[in-house]
Amino acid sequence: MKRTIMTAAAVAAAVSMGASDAMAGKADDTLNWSTTREVDVALPFYNNVREMVIMQRHTWDNLLYRDTKTFEYKPLLATSFKWVNNKTLEFKIRKGVKFHNGASFSADDVVKTYNHVSSKDSGVLTKRNVSWIDHAEKVDADTVRVHLKKTFPAALEFVSGPMAIFPKDIWATARKDAKGKPDYGTVAAIGTGPYKTVKIVSGESVQMEKNTNYWKGSPKGQPSIGKINFRTVADPEAQIAELLSGSLDWIWDVPKDKAEELKLIGINNVMNVPTMRISYLTMDRAGRAGKGKDNPFYNKKVRRAIAHAIDRGAIAKEMVGGASQVIHSACFPTQFGCTQDVPQYNYDPAKSKKLLAEAGYPNGFTTDIFAYRQREFTEAVMGYLAKVGIKSSLKYMQYKALRGLVWEGKAPFHHMTWGSYSMNDVSAITSHFFQGKRDDYCRDADVTKWLAEGDSNVDPKVRKEAYKKALTRLQENVCWLPMFTYAKYYAFTHDLDFNPTADEIPRFFTAKWK
Amino acid sequence: MANGTVAAKLPSAQEILEPSASSLLLKRVFGHAGMTIGGGVLLFIFLIAILAPLLAPHDPFDQDLSKRFLDPVWGAKGTWLHPLGTDGFGRDYLSRMMFGAQTSLLIGFAAMLISGVIGTALGVAAGYFGGRVDMIITFIITTRLAMPVILVALVVVALIGSSLNIVIWVLGLLIWDRFAVVMRATTQQVRSMDYIAAAKALGCSTTRIIFTEIMPNVANALIVVATLEVAHAVLLEAALSFLGLGVQPPTPSWGLMISEGKGMMFFKAWVIAIPGFALFMLVLCINLMGDGIRDVTAPENRN
Repeated sequence: MKRTIMTAAAVAAAVSMGASDAMAGKADDTLNWSTTREVDVALPFYNNVREMVIMQRHTWDNLLYRDTKTFEYKPLLATSFKWVNNKTLEFKIRKGVKFHNGASFSADDVVKTYNHVSSKDSGVLTKRNVSWIDHAEKVDADTVRVHLKKTFPAALEFVSGPMAIFPKDIWATARKDAKGKPDYGTVAAIGTGPYKTVKIVSGESVQMEKNTNYWKGSPKGQPSIGKINFRTVADPEAQIAELLSGSLDWIWDVPKDKAEELKLIGINNVMNVPTMRISYLTMDRAGRAGKGKDNPFYNKKVRRAIAHAIDRGAIAKEMVGGASQVIHSACFPTQFGCTQDVPQYNYDPAKSKKLLAEAGYPNGFTTDIFAYRQREFTEAVMGYLAKVGIKSSLKYMQYKALRGLVWEGKAPFHHMTWGSYSMNDVSAITSHFFQGKRDDYCRDADVTKWLAEGDSNVDPKVRKEAYKKALTRLQENVCWLPMFTYAKYYAFTHDLDFNPTADEIPRFFTAKWK
Repeated sequence: MANGTVAAKLPSAQEILEPSASSLLLKRVFGHAGMTIGGGVLLFIFLIAILAPLLAPHDPFDQDLSKRFLDPVWGAKGTWLHPLGTDGFGRDYLSRMMFGAQTSLLIGFAAMLISGVIGTALGVAAGYFGGRVDMIITFIITTRLAMPVILVALVVVALIGSSLNIVIWVLGLLIWDRFAVVMRATTQQVRSMDYIAAAKALGCSTTRIIFTEIMPNVANALIVVATLEVAHAVLLEAALSFLGLGVQPPTPSWGLMISEGKGMMFFKAWVIAIPGFALFMLVLCINLMGDGIRDVTAPENRN
């Protein structure tokens, strides 16, 4: 009964919210998926939203493919690869693969893509994705060498991640802006991947069709579902209503409470999957916002008191979801170099109060807390702080605005998250934050030195040791309190056979109708 | 001194003309269904707000994540421990409703007082002095009327940040227009009365005329506008809080509670239904009170 009422209400809501799409799904071999974000440019390198990262894997292939289960690098557009030396990678190129426009894939396409995106005026949005490349060269018809700027152990992560391969002639077709400068974001979305991008309505939808000529033997497998349509539905409530009414087949980022209710209704499959994103609390050890009484975080006892005041386990379990776990060091547990063997701070409000009293704040103090994502998680943190006497007022803002304040040293106490670009290496997180630069509120010269050591060495043992020293010191300093890992709730139709992965990249090319 | 004696005797002369005024008023008040109901419920909400610290069963800020979204007592898993259930942080909903009433009423009345002082001062000055003063004040009123309240409030709050005090001041500084318009019109009417001419003839100062001759005679209209503006401010606060720019969490506010409950709308409708209903009742009752006061104090204005 409850289920019927709920569905009726949802359908009514979906209709009133203007869901115009006819019932889709298994019946017409079309998978409709949605997020709240808009995709204006549907081209890798020229749009860095998560939705684009997902679409990239469908329309384009890379030289390598990282297996989602074993984390091994498997040959994709390359048939094999090897390190010639610390700064040179060599790839043998696959033959017989065709782009969506019919052109044959060759070594020239690889060289052109690598050289184009790493060139100074390529206009690539996330520089970090391409800044490690010096240049690429064609050795012979089926061999390509990529030269690195410096030793960079994480290079393969990028080769198999953001480095999609485009046809060599495509960049010349870019439209020019008023000053005659080419806007590469305007070129056609053509790759060799399992799905062709067939229609892009900027900011609204992206439609894909199965590539029936996808090359046999790809580690990505053969696509099964006929059409995959992405559509932006900005309102999360409308998304749920559309999912219940059947005009959407797949959504994610469903908050825990709603996900659990969806599970009860039973119309959809609901899954909770860990992701590489972690939540953290930064406290200004460096005194960037002042070193006096007005910046209590400069006092180590206050920082320790805060670490003991928050029941991270309860937030993870009750609010984030079952797959979320508490973490103790400044990295995601599966990342290379990450260890939980560091000083830990358990939930102990009594100890917290004692530490606050010792620090000279027996009645607590008042502070601002800055945040940008999942407001309710930050509010829960504020609730725990209130219990030990710390009154905080929430400054909740857009990511870009908060990032600006953080960089200027004006956010001595902030609760933020980091997704490591889904890269399974400590250099994508710890080394990012503690370089002694704008993101760093710890400013410990030893930490910076150890991290640099770990980043530039190819010996796994040396790297691990260096990272462990850095991670341990960070927790001794209690300036960056790791909180919990994120877990994402997915909700999708029972007709769909879909397997989520921890890297937050749904692979619809492996999905099937049941 | 002679002037004062005459002025002071005036009300008593009126009383002699209408000897049963107070009993007539009481009769009218209790004979007016809307006012009785509105006033009764309003008094109830008032008492709850004032006595919230004594009445509330729990600390409205005390979170317990293991008790999130418990049903109200009539729900499947409801208990009397939390008669209206708990919110997304396991905080007692009833206690938050009680303290939320404080927030709503505080903002409503404080904003009304600020806007009342501004609006009345401008309106009475324009109405009494007329001429150039009236022209300038009318221009200010028109300028203010041309600004969309909610939009301006949003911009200001977004720029300077939001807190209880800021919301009160922003609303107070924005919603004085009705006071000014009504006060101007009523003052213009009163100004031409004989007793004003008499007071002037007796040599009363302008201040004295305004405070002892004009104000008592425009008070009816003032009270009616004031009640409407309380309701207006309460609704605006709810709207701002709903948009995330009003009262900031964890302060309990009905608008904020509706906003926080929005996400659970399809699954736990009571989360928004309870504060929504309370807000509806509060605004309805304030309006009923306003109508009632108008009818009772000046039945001839009834339409």
